[in-house]
Amino acid sequence: MNDFSDIESELKKLRPTQPSADLLRRVENAIVDLSGEEKIVRPHQFRIHWLSLGASLAAAAVVLIFLRFDFQKAAQSPGVAAQSPPPTKPVPATFIPAGATQVVYHTRDEGLFFPLHSEEPVRRVRSRTQETLQWRNPATGASLQVSYPAEHVQFIPVSGQ
Amino acid sequence: MKDHEEVMDNVATHEQWKTVFSELAPGLVLFARQWVRSSADAEDIVQDAFVKFWRRNHKIDNRALLYATVRSTALDLIRRDSRRARREVEASADVDLTIAPQFYVDDESQRALICALDRLPGEQREVLVMKIWNELTFAEIAQALEISQNTAASRYRYALAALKKDLERVQ
Repeated sequence: MNDFSDIESELKKLRPTQPSADLLRRVENAIVDLSGEEKIVRPHQFRIHWLSLGASLAAAAVVLIFLRFDFQKAAQSPGVAAQSPPPTKPVPATFIPAGATQVVYHTRDEGLFFPLHSEEPVRRVRSRTQETLQWRNPATGASLQVSYPAEHVQFIPVSGQ
Repeated sequence: MKDHEEVMDNVATHEQWKTVFSELAPGLVLFARQWVRSSADAEDIVQDAFVKFWRRNHKIDNRALLYATVRSTALDLIRRDSRRARREVEASADVDLTIAPQFYVDDESQRALICALDRLPGEQREVLVMKIWNELTFAEIAQALEISQNTAASRYRYALAALKKDLERVQ
């Protein structure tokens, strides 16, 4: 059935070259940094465009107000009220987090820098992202989404220089 | 969303990543080498992708996602640096045509096989690399490449057929 067993076995005899010993150490450093402060977004590294965020939140609030307004109007409408009595329990307006995405749309390597009190150089990488947070009200099915641009600067340790 | 404690806990309880990474690294670098000329660039891609993969707190055994992350990181790098890469390729074309080897070569037949591998279409080669040297199943390959399992299996068979034909022609 398999006509290719010979070529498959020849291919399996080929051994890929080993990556440099440095690779594991670099990945380890990066992962250790993840648990520490370096990769945690700090105020001076994480600049939210507050104007955009404010505008997004305001727009979301307006949408919510209109939604509630529409519900109230519908409830007050005599025709509808006569046919469908209002629910005995009010619908809880509880929004729960439903998702978060971060789209990196631009990354720039700004080269090597020597931080203060350090002899080891670091590479500064600046990235621009569009971050989106979503909430959902499971009772009503309503959802709320906020998007804002952000800028991150990461300092990546460099060795062997 | 993850918080700091969760990330810390994740690192503390998944120390086995080193063992897993050491086992996967040669195959991952070989996989990344399909899109870049140098081992150093391939290692950079693998490093970025693995950290990205880890940061998202994916299970270490989700290999399809890991390879998909390596692939997308490599393609992002190509898109981002296409102009720079083009300049580098043009500049290096006059100076140095040597590409770092991807395999240890024991004899001439292996050298011929590697040359034939290099001549495969990219979509066939990536399936072959994932299957032979990374030991992914067709289901995992299909998931990583966002294709059907049948397509993955077909590309694999086409790749083997092409290699066989190429080697027969050379001999």
